[in-house]
Amino acid sequence: MQDLRVQFDVSGGPITAVDGISFEIDRGEIVGIVGESGSGKTMTALSLLRLIPEPGKITSGRILYGEKDVVEMTDEEIREFRGNEVAMIFQDPMTSLNPVLRVGFQIEEAMAAHSRFTRKQAHDRVVPMLQRVRIPAAKDRVRDYPHQFSGGMRQRGMIAMGVSNEPSLLIADEPTTALDVTVQASIIELLRDLSRELRAAVILITHNMALVASLCNRVIVMYAGRIVEQGPTRAIFKNPQHPYTWSLLRSMPRVDEVEKERLISIRGLPPDLGRMPPGCKFHPRCKFRVDRCLTEEPPLGEVGPGQDARCWVLMKNIENPEAEALK
Amino acid sequence: MAQAAPVIQPDLELTYEIPEQVTLLTDAWRRIRRNRLALVGGVIIVLLFVVALISIVWTPYPTWLQAVGPTYQPPSAAHPLGLDQAGRDILSRIMGGALITIQVGIGSAVILCLIGIPLGLLAGFYRGQVDTTISFFINIWYGIPDLLVALILVFVLSDALHLIPRGVLVIVIAFSLTRWMDVARLVRGQALALREREFVEAARMSGARDAALLFRHIFPNALGPIIVQATFAIPAAVLFEAFLSFLGLGLPPPTPSWGAMASDGYHGMDFAPHIVLAPTIALSITLMAFNWLGDGLRDAFDPRMRR
Repeated sequence: MQDLRVQFDVSGGPITAVDGISFEIDRGEIVGIVGESGSGKTMTALSLLRLIPEPGKITSGRILYGEKDVVEMTDEEIREFRGNEVAMIFQDPMTSLNPVLRVGFQIEEAMAAHSRFTRKQAHDRVVPMLQRVRIPAAKDRVRDYPHQFSGGMRQRGMIAMGVSNEPSLLIADEPTTALDVTVQASIIELLRDLSRELRAAVILITHNMALVASLCNRVIVMYAGRIVEQGPTRAIFKNPQHPYTWSLLRSMPRVDEVEKERLISIRGLPPDLGRMPPGCKFHPRCKFRVDRCLTEEPPLGEVGPGQDARCWVLMKNIENPEAEALK
Repeated sequence: MAQAAPVIQPDLELTYEIPEQVTLLTDAWRRIRRNRLALVGGVIIVLLFVVALISIVWTPYPTWLQAVGPTYQPPSAAHPLGLDQAGRDILSRIMGGALITIQVGIGSAVILCLIGIPLGLLAGFYRGQVDTTISFFINIWYGIPDLLVALILVFVLSDALHLIPRGVLVIVIAFSLTRWMDVARLVRGQALALREREFVEAARMSGARDAALLFRHIFPNALGPIIVQATFAIPAAVLFEAFLSFLGLGLPPPTPSWGAMASDGYHGMDFAPHIVLAPTIALSITLMAFNWLGDGLRDAFDPRMRR
């Protein structure tokens, strides 16, 4: 994905939801995209499938999948691409299954939409798929309707549908937010195993840092439609360089540091995408800003091995950031 | 949940009680059974069907046979509903009329849906130019006085051009061509709402074709309201046929149409009211039965009424 830009043409002029995002992802890799609501995470993922809602448009950039550019594909190519090469798993499994069709049939349909399997093969693969996502008594369950499934089972059903065509990229858009904690853990475990078995890349969109820490190899932190920091999970969690990343991590309660101190909250709200502040987009909420931040937007620069950050200051240059932040 | 907990592999062959299968239709059936009026309507409609089927093979007298007794004879043991102005057995003609009524009602509902559903689906699903065009025609059609157009259609199609012989078919076509908008508009609204639902989006993301989205995802979910609308179209069509026949523009004699029978007897109403009463009562009961059933179905398919 190179220099992707998604704009929404609304009455008040174009609004840029995703501005110049570039990243790449390899087979078997699990990448987490984190950020607040409205930071462009979901738009980035949707643009991979060219399914940005009206009146949004990809105005520049390329999305290369192997040799092919998704932006340039014909309608039939993109249809074949969706589901077959890239599958998406949604946040809310309650509403993502068609309530009037049997679960098994919906999974069969997902396979039948593509040329990889014949109708017969698709039919025979349904039960194994359900077993693969660990739905108990799968043989009996294929004939159930979605409302007979629990939340966790529906999410498993969605995952079964997603991986049924053996895609090489799986996009999970907050796959666990609608589920309770014990179910979350098993879904995460399932995603990890499947990505390993299928040798598929996974993009995990979330604002749950703990989830990222337990699952991802690499993290991309987004803010206001931009990547503000990216790098290997370990590096990001140990040495976050962008103040935004740092604050995100410090805003999380940690069991091992209970008595230590107050949580650090990020004051204010993310900027209105229609009226972006000049300079660094994070400066109005940043506790470490310098004058330069107000006028000039920093580039995404290398700050460590494989780690980039979009900041003039960088956290490593600040002594005792906690005290500074709480001032 | 900093660290995902280890997952115990569940027993895949685990067997346990599978809850009873509840589909849209069984659920609706369960609720309609509790609605007494709808049930009565349903029973009457079943009776109507039975009578209509019997009339194909047997009626006490042939429906067209005149002078089986004195004209204008009031009900008697031999002729429970009496004889009409041409001495025909009214009971036989009522039975024959049931068949005509059902043909008109069901035929109209089917053709209505065949026109309205595809148009509504296309308009609601593709929106934009397609929707604008179809909605334009829906609104124009609403503005046209349907009875007049239907009359002209019957006249043009069968009498002027001789395309379709004067009969049930031409009435059904004329009715459907003037009343398809209700179904189209309803389906359009459903499609507009359903296309935004997540399961449709999810299906799109897994590469489903437009046809699959329309017929697997949108149409089945709109089925409830469509059935209700179609049920209400049946009595409207029946009434339309009776009205046309009453005016002498519907089915040609000696077809035992209830509307034509009422028209026949209306001249002798002051001394032989049974000739008018029999078909009008039959018509009223039928119309009420369909309306009760329609009301019951509407309640049964309404998700807010769920238990």
